[in-house]
Amino acid sequence: MTTDGQAAKGPRDAANWAANRERLEVNSDAREYGYNVDGMRVAGPQQGFGRLWQRTFWVDLGPAVTPQALIADWRAHFGDFWPRMGRFHGAVSGIAPGDVAALEVGLPTGTGPALATGVLVLYADDTSFSFMTPEGHMFAAMITFSGESVTTGTRAQIRMLIRTSDPLFELGWPFIKRGEADFWKGTLANLAASHGVAGATVEEETECLDPARLWKNWRNIRHNSGIRSAWHIVTSR
Amino acid sequence: MSLSYELDQRGPTAILRLRGQIDRDAVGVLDDAYAAAARTAATVVELDFNAVEYINSTGIALIVGLLGKARSHGRAVRARGLTDHYQHIFEITRLSDFIEIVQPV
Repeated sequence: MTTDGQAAKGPRDAANWAANRERLEVNSDAREYGYNVDGMRVAGPQQGFGRLWQRTFWVDLGPAVTPQALIADWRAHFGDFWPRMGRFHGAVSGIAPGDVAALEVGLPTGTGPALATGVLVLYADDTSFSFMTPEGHMFAAMITFSGESVTTGTRAQIRMLIRTSDPLFELGWPFIKRGEADFWKGTLANLAASHGVAGATVEEETECLDPARLWKNWRNIRHNSGIRSAWHIVTSR
Repeated sequence: MSLSYELDQRGPTAILRLRGQIDRDAVGVLDDAYAAAARTAATVVELDFNAVEYINSTGIALIVGLLGKARSHGRAVRARGLTDHYQHIFEITRLSDFIEIVQPV
């Protein structure tokens, strides 16, 4: 039960949030890549397996762009800023709450087989947007992209709460951790360059919030997108 | 309105009465609030949202982080006074799988 006051003030941001859904279905223009996403549920950090990490990456862009302009550009061209190792198959209209986008992550060269998974756009407003990952993604995660006002101007920031999804991905964490850092640092460097800041220094901070693994979730491995992607590639030849 | 809190303890439950907005500016206050609750002998941390005006996705991430810390310390987390809207957000994010949601008495 809610009070009248609560009911009146709560939904002011309702349009910023995704609608609730039991199972995910990728956008119609990305169905080809959504085979590891369709029918899955979202999986936040509490549904993952590995240790809980908070990772933050940021780059300062100076006064040339406002947080609002930065986020508008980032939402409209999200995948364009990714390094070659990743391909984002989102809606043509850009990032919007409730969108389910497919994505592929492969070798740094951008060639060869790729792991297919996706994200749900959980939230978006004029200075931030957030993703949640589906079951089977290498991370059970919540990731927020934001434009922050700092004394020197505008800061582009990516902050995530992540656990690896299953024991197999946890085994690969030392490599995955480095690859993920390279990926998001590359993304922020590309974003900075597009706003006139060449050779920007991307900062990183990683903190372990829960050192325990959630063994009760070990069965998540049945959704492992690496295994499923390999099987898909083999059987579709 | 920035976030503030009051701590109350009833038996094994530390009640954090939150007031204001839970967004990026709330990080220090929410950390302090959990640390204060953790200094008690409570085995349950109850977050009272009755006086919370607004939560954005950064705020939800802060609550997920608090849940992770509480889990690592063996404490359960309970939520009271969520509006229908924010109950819905807890369901979307599957926070409700791990945080018991109780209504005002």
